[in-house]
Amino acid sequence: MTQLTYDVSLRIPADGAYLSILRTATAGLAARLDFTLDDIEDLRIAVDEACALLLPQATLGSELACGFVVEPDCLTVEVTASSPEPREPSRDGFAWTVLTALASEVDARTDSGAVTLTLTRRRESLSP
Amino acid sequence: MTEQPTVSSTRSVGDQRAETRDRTLALFAALAEHPEESPQRENIRNQLVQLHLPLVDHLARRFRNRGEPLDDLVQVGSIGLIKSVDRFDPERQVEFSTYATPTIVGEIKRHFRDKGWAIRVPRRLQELRLSLSTATADLTQELGRAPTVAEIAERIGVNQDDVLEGLESANAYSTLSLDAPEAGETEGPSMADALGTDDDALEGVEYRESLKPLLAQLEPREKRILLLRFFKGMTQSQIAADVGISQMHVSRVLARTLTQLREGLGTPP
Repeated sequence: MTQLTYDVSLRIPADGAYLSILRTATAGLAARLDFTLDDIEDLRIAVDEACALLLPQATLGSELACGFVVEPDCLTVEVTASSPEPREPSRDGFAWTVLTALASEVDARTDSGAVTLTLTRRRESLSP
Repeated sequence: MTEQPTVSSTRSVGDQRAETRDRTLALFAALAEHPEESPQRENIRNQLVQLHLPLVDHLARRFRNRGEPLDDLVQVGSIGLIKSVDRFDPERQVEFSTYATPTIVGEIKRHFRDKGWAIRVPRRLQELRLSLSTATADLTQELGRAPTVAEIAERIGVNQDDVLEGLESANAYSTLSLDAPEAGETEGPSMADALGTDDDALEGVEYRESLKPLLAQLEPREKRILLLRFFKGMTQSQIAADVGISQMHVSRVLARTLTQLREGLGTPP
């Protein structure tokens, strides 16, 4: 997978207490794209779930690198945690099921010392 | 819990802060030198906690007059402080107090949530929430889909940032019991009805063994909403119509239920 070019980047401490910042940023960007409330709330929960998957393996005291790619009908959020032993989350697990229900596309990859989750949500068509 | 000792006129607050900071650094350095489980370590940890109790006190006071005794708030805040002492990495170029504050506040807020007390939301936001809720319901009806933030903003005559802020507060400060119908809404049809068939949807998922008892503990409505969203692929608006509650309520139930499951599975929230 090629490295995405982020339109917006955000670094937060790898600590659950900071996730609200990421949720708010995600909701703000999604609103700019005219996402519906359903889309926005789903994304908010998805980002939470993605971080809940990453945080347990994040290096203590490290940061989560969050990147957003903003396209006309599509928002991609990528969260990378540095980890001593990065491992991809199980794709058979409940958390993955939740993520795939909330995002249009979900992907995970590991690099040396880092694990990344990518969520893409395409905007619902505005006609009913 | 008493007030921080009054600073004598010869020492400025700044001096005292610098002193606390230096002592904190020295104690964390000492902590790193002792192996886990050693009695000295316990002692140093206690000193670190003692040293920062005024911070807990200060933060707890910000949540005073919200229906919970200050002592209780200080107590749960102290749990956050202890967690912060255990997790803090002095290598990081951040002051301990900066690091500890969100964790302490988090514990205090969690306490309010668990106790079901309402954190006082500014009146302006309360009113905004109300009009958001109405506008969302009306627009969903009219458009046949969930509205966008821009559409809601136009309908209630505020800007988009206000709408986002209102949504945020609706999520952060929800204190409704998960099973309580929203004001003015009547209880939907029995939730237990379709549960047997919904359980089949879980069959394909190789979820951890521990998940099953946790799901069994959920209130029938929470479980139903969870299954409809994640296994039946219904949208939040569709679920809202199906269950007979608002979309915002569905969103809150989903977020809370997932947090509950995560906590039950031992993953930090």
